[in-house]
Amino acid sequence: MNFGFNDDQLALAATVRDVLRTHCPPGSLRSERRPAWEQLAGLGFFGLLLPEAADGLGLALVDVLPALEETGRACLPGPVVETAVVAPYLLADVPKLASGAVCVGVLPPGQAYAADADLADLLIVVRDGGARVIPRRDVRLAPRRGVDPCRPLFEVTFSRSEPLPVPVGPALARATVATAAQLVGLARELLSVTVGYARVRTQFGAPIGSFQAVKHQLADVAVAVEFAAPLVYRAALTVESDSGDRDASAAKAAAGEVATLAARVALQIHGAIGYTEELDLRFWLARAWSLSAAYGTTAAHRERLRTAITGRRP
Amino acid sequence: MDLDFSPAERAFRLEVRDWLARHRPPPLPSMDTAEGFAAHRAWEAELAAARLSAVSWPEEYGGRGASLIDWLIFEEEYWAAGCPARVTQNGIFLLAPSLMRYGTPEQRERHLPRMAGGDDVWAQAWSEPEAGSDLAALTSRAEPCPGGWRLYGHKTWSSRAAFATHGFGLFRTSGARHKGLTYFMFPMAGVAVRPIAQLDGLPGFAELRFDGVFTPDSMVLGEVGEGWRIAMATTSSERGLTLRSPGRFLATADRLAELARDADPALADRAARCRIEAEAYQLHTFGTARRLMAGEELGPAASMGKIFWSELDLRMHALALDLLGDRAESWVDGFLFSLAGPIYAGTNEIQRNIVAERVLGLPR
Ligand SMILES: Cc1cc2nc3c(=O)[nH]c(=O)nc-3n(C[C@H](O)[C@H](O)[C@H](O)COP(=O)(O)OP(=O)(O)OC[C@H]3O[C@@H](n4cnc5c(N)ncnc54)[C@H](O)[C@@H]3O)c2cc1C
Repeated sequence: MNFGFNDDQLALAATVRDVLRTHCPPGSLRSERRPAWEQLAGLGFFGLLLPEAADGLGLALVDVLPALEETGRACLPGPVVETAVVAPYLLADVPKLASGAVCVGVLPPGQAYAADADLADLLIVVRDGGARVIPRRDVRLAPRRGVDPCRPLFEVTFSRSEPLPVPVGPALARATVATAAQLVGLARELLSVTVGYARVRTQFGAPIGSFQAVKHQLADVAVAVEFAAPLVYRAALTVESDSGDRDASAAKAAAGEVATLAARVALQIHGAIGYTEELDLRFWLARAWSLSAAYGTTAAHRERLRTAITGRRP
Repeated sequence: MDLDFSPAERAFRLEVRDWLARHRPPPLPSMDTAEGFAAHRAWEAELAAARLSAVSWPEEYGGRGASLIDWLIFEEEYWAAGCPARVTQNGIFLLAPSLMRYGTPEQRERHLPRMAGGDDVWAQAWSEPEAGSDLAALTSRAEPCPGGWRLYGHKTWSSRAAFATHGFGLFRTSGARHKGLTYFMFPMAGVAVRPIAQLDGLPGFAELRFDGVFTPDSMVLGEVGEGWRIAMATTSSERGLTLRSPGRFLATADRLAELARDADPALADRAARCRIEAEAYQLHTFGTARRLMAGEELGPAASMGKIFWSELDLRMHALALDLLGDRAESWVDGFLFSLAGPIYAGTNEIQRNIVAERVLGLPR
């Protein structure tokens, strides 16, 4: 038993982090729809989970988990999880996935609207346990209002579609875990930005971070992040096993909760400046809210766990 | 990264499970009564005879030289089997790590095997009436005399000291606030002990008065004036790990899940949340064990664990009471004890200060 990431896994995350720092700075969230995608594609990011036969690297979800955390930390726009994590399992036969030339959107079960569908070359719609795949030209999109300006929502109607012959459950479990990893990355960034602000903002002649009421809120976020992350790591390890769905739900519930806590505390400690459009913080707040509802809300995942633990055992 | 136990680890788990199934005691009376204390000592002597009382200790002191992962496995099995809290815990989990690291070979040989065997039961004598959170403000003092030291002063809230055989604590050997403290061990004989009842009415605490109690030179741990450093080094590395193992919370979460089977969904949801958090603590602890085994120090990060497990424990026991109403008798003691978690081992307010200042780097 060795519950820690290895050097390769951490090195991949460090590379992705560097690329995102350069090519997805906060300012780009205001001016670009898909910053850093080209550079990530250049790294082979979209082929990491694809089999070698499809020009991919054939890595496991756990290998890319720290890198996925980085995409959350950077608040990277675009259907990252759908293209880099779902597509490799459902659409491995589609040419050019590995090069990042094909962008994929997903409308998961239980959700009314598809996020980032405006960018999708292919849209996967999951209904009644089965999935259908629809090319862009057969889709009609109607924008719908959501909280996250960089993750726009669309109501989808379509004419022709192809059924996908593979089971979608495992791909959705992976998407859930990947989204949980992004939420952990978001929470880490919200915490670090807020700590930074609390050190420089002064009131009553002292940095607000020296006041215990502020310190304790931040300490609570730090503790929550510290203990949510390992659930996500486990879920990435067990996603293929019998407990995969249950562990994915535990991870998503915990990660959703920690990201919304981090957002709540970040806003409170920034005060009114945090409640403005001008501050970049708003993008991270919005992403915490929108991803905590993606691929099942915190409440829905906790309910799945409740069923798992209180169901009668043989 | 993996969560796969090795064949040796799996074999150890089965051995422990099998042994506990055959030897597990019936529910014992509270360890805060004379008869309960004796019954707990007898149980722990039985554990020690099977070399299961301190599995991660070296063999020469009564352990098995097992890894921290093995210790976590042992604890999961111990609590899952419904075994009782340990009367020797302050010695084994708080004094022993300091002895291993700072004690002389002679001190280790003299005290550790008797501690593992439950022959000596140690009480922690740190707090004083005017020095709780601000421990370095303590005023009890030690004065040199031929062959050793004479201890003077007043300690309080010392767990199980009403029945313990030995104590350990910090005493002032000079005026300097932190550098003036020395770590002493002492026999309880000669100390005036007044039991103090806790919320459950039983003498779980004691007040200790020292009026020139003699303790020999060989009972000083580390150097004179180094007591603060020794105490802090071991609290930080142990606080997040050995004081409260995840096995205890996993077992409680399982009992809650049983209770919540037919409960209202809102209550059952809280049980699900407790289970998720107990697993989070377990997984996090596997990561902590890995880091300690690789030779890393935990430092102030240990405070995060203390906040997490104590508040989880509170939520779990509050939920049990909500689920059971007036039929909660078997949970009452656990509930009362869970209320103390955010107070002892450094209050959670103090832990939050440590996290904010020393982990996050916020200004003092
Ligand atoms: C069940 C139990 C077992 C114990 N066992 C032992 C034992 O075996 N040996 C032993 O020596 N002691 C023991 N103690 C005592 C324990 O260590 C102290 O209670 C603890 O250190 C807090 O000190 P205090 O009670 O004096 O509270 P105080 O220090 O007076 O604190 C009172 C309140 O003020 C808050 N506070 C104090 N300072 C600050 C600050 N700087 N910032 C924010 N808030 C602050 C505290 O968090 C707390 O909420 C035990 C306590 C309990 C409850």
